[in-house]
Amino acid sequence: MKRWLKMTAGAAAITLATAGCAGSGSGDSTNSSAPASNGTLTVWLMTGTAPETLTNSLHKEFEDAHPGVKIKYEIQQWNGIQQKLTTSLASDNPPDVIELGNTQTPAFANQNVLADLSSNVADFNGAQWLQGLKASGEYDGKTYGVPFYAANREVIYRKDMFEQAGITATPKTRAEWLDAITKLKAKFGSDPDFQAVYHPGQNWYELLSYIWDEGGDIAQANGKSFKSTLDSPQAKAGLEFYKQLTEASGTKAPKDADEATPQQAGIYGAGKVAMMIGVPGEADTAAKTDPSIKEKSGAFPIPGKTAGKSAPVFLGGSNLVVPANSKNAAAAKDYIKLFSTPKYQTELAKAGYVPGTSTDVSALDANPLTKVMAEASKNGRAVPASPKWGDVESGQNPIKDMLTAYLTGTKSLDQATADANAALDKLIGG
Amino acid sequence: MTTTEDVTTPAGSSPPASPRIKPPKSNRRLRLGERTAPYLLLLPALVAILVLLGWPTLQLIGISFRKLDLRELVSGEMVWVGFENFSEILSDPEFWEITVRTLVFTAAVVLTTLLLALFMALLMRHLNPVVRVILQVALILAWATPVLATTTVFQWIFDQQYGILNKTLAKLGFDGFIGHSWFSTGPSTLTVIGLLVVWQAVPFVAFTLYAGLLGVPKEQYEAAGIDGANAWQAFWAVSWPAIRPILTMVTFLSVLWDFKLFAQVWAIRQGGPDGASTTLPVYMYLKGLAGNHFGLAATAALLMMLVLILLTARYVQLLVRTKEADLS
Repeated sequence: MKRWLKMTAGAAAITLATAGCAGSGSGDSTNSSAPASNGTLTVWLMTGTAPETLTNSLHKEFEDAHPGVKIKYEIQQWNGIQQKLTTSLASDNPPDVIELGNTQTPAFANQNVLADLSSNVADFNGAQWLQGLKASGEYDGKTYGVPFYAANREVIYRKDMFEQAGITATPKTRAEWLDAITKLKAKFGSDPDFQAVYHPGQNWYELLSYIWDEGGDIAQANGKSFKSTLDSPQAKAGLEFYKQLTEASGTKAPKDADEATPQQAGIYGAGKVAMMIGVPGEADTAAKTDPSIKEKSGAFPIPGKTAGKSAPVFLGGSNLVVPANSKNAAAAKDYIKLFSTPKYQTELAKAGYVPGTSTDVSALDANPLTKVMAEASKNGRAVPASPKWGDVESGQNPIKDMLTAYLTGTKSLDQATADANAALDKLIGG
Repeated sequence: MTTTEDVTTPAGSSPPASPRIKPPKSNRRLRLGERTAPYLLLLPALVAILVLLGWPTLQLIGISFRKLDLRELVSGEMVWVGFENFSEILSDPEFWEITVRTLVFTAAVVLTTLLLALFMALLMRHLNPVVRVILQVALILAWATPVLATTTVFQWIFDQQYGILNKTLAKLGFDGFIGHSWFSTGPSTLTVIGLLVVWQAVPFVAFTLYAGLLGVPKEQYEAAGIDGANAWQAFWAVSWPAIRPILTMVTFLSVLWDFKLFAQVWAIRQGGPDGASTTLPVYMYLKGLAGNHFGLAATAALLMMLVLILLTARYVQLLVRTKEADLS
């Protein structure tokens, strides 16, 4: 083989091998949707949000009212959605209506990729909007996101186990909660697989409840900038209770993973767990392991520090947005308007969600689990509305690292909170 | 590693041809055609490489000097920031820490892969055919399993509470492993990731080396045996010279593959705990894609490419210098 040939081969090999870096640097997911004609309204909702019966009747009603417009409905997965949204929002033919997680909304609003819906607030039943989600859809005094639905965490418990352990009333305060755990352990503790509370180390949405309950927060807004406050005495007190609960619960859950790895609902469904902290939907997931578990389950709000008031909860949920590049903005707004009508909001509530543009949550009362959630949602709050918050959740979350470091004893309380505070400041501060 | 002295005629000069089969003198035009033909044949490949790899690389370099967030991407604005991206990354102490970690990790993984693969290749030579086929099928299966599937299996194996490893260790009497977390520190997490990578990398390297060993004529081993060489001496005298060039090549490839590993590292613990298993590709993902700062991501990618070129320069040199006989 000739020398220059070898040179070429070598050069080709190194370019081929390093090209991987270039490829992943520029983001290689492509927008596969067909070019939108004016006759097609593309709608992206997330998996597991609106039930099929709701969307079917909604889409039929919309298409009947808009002759010539066809809805292209696509269900997206949460996993990797950030990248998919980035590429689709940057394209010339983005979807026309998108469901956006409420913690993602400020970031996209800040990047000028969403249409300004401020003048349509009244059309979308603005007076009835869920306050906790409303803030997440607003940026710089304008409205970009319409509240879609919310869900929040509660304590899901086994009624039969509580009864057998002689617990007559559901805990209302932290002290009562710890007391109930002691009673459960006394009754079932002989079973080595028993866990009074399944309590993974990185359920940071739950931690928020304790920090807020202590009167603290994870970050404070000062105009447009944010300053993280994870090293405040209140945040430390919240963290301390998290540890106290973990130790009291006798949980075997990993300290370095969240409630999704492994899925806590599956472990609760196996029947050896008396409580878990999750959204009502997780009881349905648990029922896939054991169908009888749903009947045996009840719920109570996360107990507060003091009597008479449950802990504030993180309002997880979504907004509906219209991309700035949408070719069918008018039809997209009509679609959201229809979605905001009481008829469909009630449907949403029946499916177990706190509706975003309606204060009528009576449909949630039918199910004891969602009834408790609806109650607790009144005391719901959101994460800081920083446009950089997306970095926290799509990257390495310092709050999760803080929890693990403190729970495993790798770092002291002061060290863990100070490090996390600095890391969070680096992400959202300034 | 040293190269053997070049004792053959220098590459490029043709061996003296027998006068009898000397071709008739052709005219000038034909000779020109003959001379350019190889270049013309290479042209399509060269153009493809330039279009598919050269252009993106140029773009990457361009982007690394720009501020390219989602806003700029959507509006198509060009915002040049000079070396701002570079100074931001290079002045980040985390970057240097992660670079060193990535280099150490790559070296450890490559070395383990090569040693294990060499052992497997030699083993395959000596095994009885049935056992060998079983081993080969097992290797192929390990290689053919998709990365994320293997990663999931490893996560199950090493699970703190339900993992088969801890349960087995506890059954064997090592009670300390009940509830032991393999992902509680960076080095421990990287060790698990390293095992996972080695597990998937060994088959290819082992087969490549085995193919090299197959090329050695049996007679050479017989000759070594007659000369009274033991197994160790036979290995150094016969096998080693045959597989050394191939070993150079697979080392080079392994360094490239392991250095830019992302899927496994991210899937196992997202570079945790507390960023202690973060490697350069993860750093790039965090800087760029997690926060939509594509300019920063491009810079990180460019710096990675630079490190990679420095790291493999010696191998490229070797590859270029390797004797013709070694490559064939």
